[in-house]
Amino acid sequence: MTREEQVKAVGLKAGARVVGIAAVDAFREKVPEGYRPEDILPGARSVVVAGGDGPTAGAWRCPDHRVMEITGYDLRENVAVHAMCDFIEGALAHHAIQAPSLPVHGHEPPMSMMHAAELAGLGTRSLAAHIILNPEYGLLYYAALITTLPLEPDPPLAEPACPHPGCAAMYKRIGTTPCLRVCPACLAGTVQDGRIQESTYDREKCHSRAQTYGIGSFQKGLLQIVNEDDPGRRRTMIYGDFFTKSLQSVGFFRDSIAQCFECMRVCPVGRKYRKLQ
Amino acid sequence: MTLPPTATAALKSIALKSGATVCGVADATAFDAYAPEKHRPGDLLPGARSVVVVGGAQPREGDWAATSPWVLQTMGTTERIQGVGRRLAQYIEHEFGYYALYVPPGTASGDTPFLSLMLAAQLAGLGSKSLAGPVLNREHGFMYWSAVITTAPFDADQVEAAAACPAPPCREMWEREGTTPCLKVCPAADGGCLSGKLESGRAVRTFYDAARCNTRVHTHWIGGFQKVLEETLNEPDRDKRKMLLYGDFFTRSLWAITYSSTNIAQCFECMRVCPAAHGLKEMK
Repeated sequence: MTREEQVKAVGLKAGARVVGIAAVDAFREKVPEGYRPEDILPGARSVVVAGGDGPTAGAWRCPDHRVMEITGYDLRENVAVHAMCDFIEGALAHHAIQAPSLPVHGHEPPMSMMHAAELAGLGTRSLAAHIILNPEYGLLYYAALITTLPLEPDPPLAEPACPHPGCAAMYKRIGTTPCLRVCPACLAGTVQDGRIQESTYDREKCHSRAQTYGIGSFQKGLLQIVNEDDPGRRRTMIYGDFFTKSLQSVGFFRDSIAQCFECMRVCPVGRKYRKLQ
Repeated sequence: MTLPPTATAALKSIALKSGATVCGVADATAFDAYAPEKHRPGDLLPGARSVVVVGGAQPREGDWAATSPWVLQTMGTTERIQGVGRRLAQYIEHEFGYYALYVPPGTASGDTPFLSLMLAAQLAGLGSKSLAGPVLNREHGFMYWSAVITTAPFDADQVEAAAACPAPPCREMWEREGTTPCLKVCPAADGGCLSGKLESGRAVRTFYDAARCNTRVHTHWIGGFQKVLEETLNEPDRDKRKMLLYGDFFTRSLWAITYSSTNIAQCFECMRVCPAAHGLKEMK
């Protein structure tokens, strides 16, 4: 087994669905200074990216939309990253850290997991909110590690996962794709010669829908509660379902991080894994 | 793809390896007689055939033996079993090719769960309801539950024939004093949550005040946060507001609802005194 295979095997065993490797140098082209792997870990040579499963195919089929709203993911990609970090530091004697991915101001993370997944050959951006689609599994969640260990990188995908041939054919026929049609409020784009020609998405609008219950709704609810002068109305707002669900979603009890999945529900990439018995 | 004959055994083996203490299977149609519409397996996953239930992650004997009440109040164990449920759902889909829906542990609305995990545990033959409320497993006692609804036709287990509750010492206590350890520690007639009656060693009447229990079990959880928030906003005095927000009650509520402390229950008194809740294994 090569070192690359050893590291990947550790990640897959820890629950990742896919693991890929990107060279630190590959980030220089599109990532501004201050946000590159070597700015986070001095001497960084490689970035290892793990993709984990999202909701099960059974969850996609549930007719009660609230199930998908609150079904927690196992977020195994983070576990896989930690397992690989432990292996790299413990067995291969090189520094390894989990790449920071939570926003530190606005929506900006210190390092983009989406870009890391692309560079590690695990997927490409889609018309659907630019979500990275793996050509085999479709929607996955990504985490990454940065290490000083030099590893042979995987090449970025030669063929984009989006648009799927079925979507390209649909665009040719009626000028839209399943995701663009299901959410014209957030998404727009054009396809030419089977490739994405242009793609935009309204992140602010999408954010308010994808995360109906979460930190944003907690802040919104709290502001309304604080601004409400009538104690009776305040009480109703505090104990109402909206604020209670917001509290549950920011707490550990419910670890769903998104409530709207409509662009992904209609996406055919990886659908074969959602068609079961 | 058809389900191999060894599928149920393989699934249970994976469940135990993943951290479950027990694993059982209920027939999805068995819920029809007990669960209200919209809260049955088929309402959540069309074509549901089985419900796989795992139990475990209960407080350890050392937790029960600890003399500080804060140990059980602040040390979280409940969430560990949910990870096993999630893993089994993925396993069923990837290994057997059948749909699997991990039942969310939260509520659909108010206090109503999507699917009653306690009912699922009973129908999967993993335990039976106790006078104190929780479902108790005969061998391991009190535990937490997670469930997966699936279209896979796994072999269903039989419902437990003999209940763990009331335990022999509780039956003797009832004959002697007309009460049991759990009923005595939290009597509904005296500000508590429980009451019940035994006849011929079996419970013939049980009562459990869920609303009252909720305020005690979840002293420092989301309800606690909401309560202090309301009090703070109703408080005109700035200094008192500051005390409310920085006081122990609100601080502990914040710990409880965030990742820092994953415990979601603070009162365990009915289970602490229950002879059937701690399992059969003797500890030194």
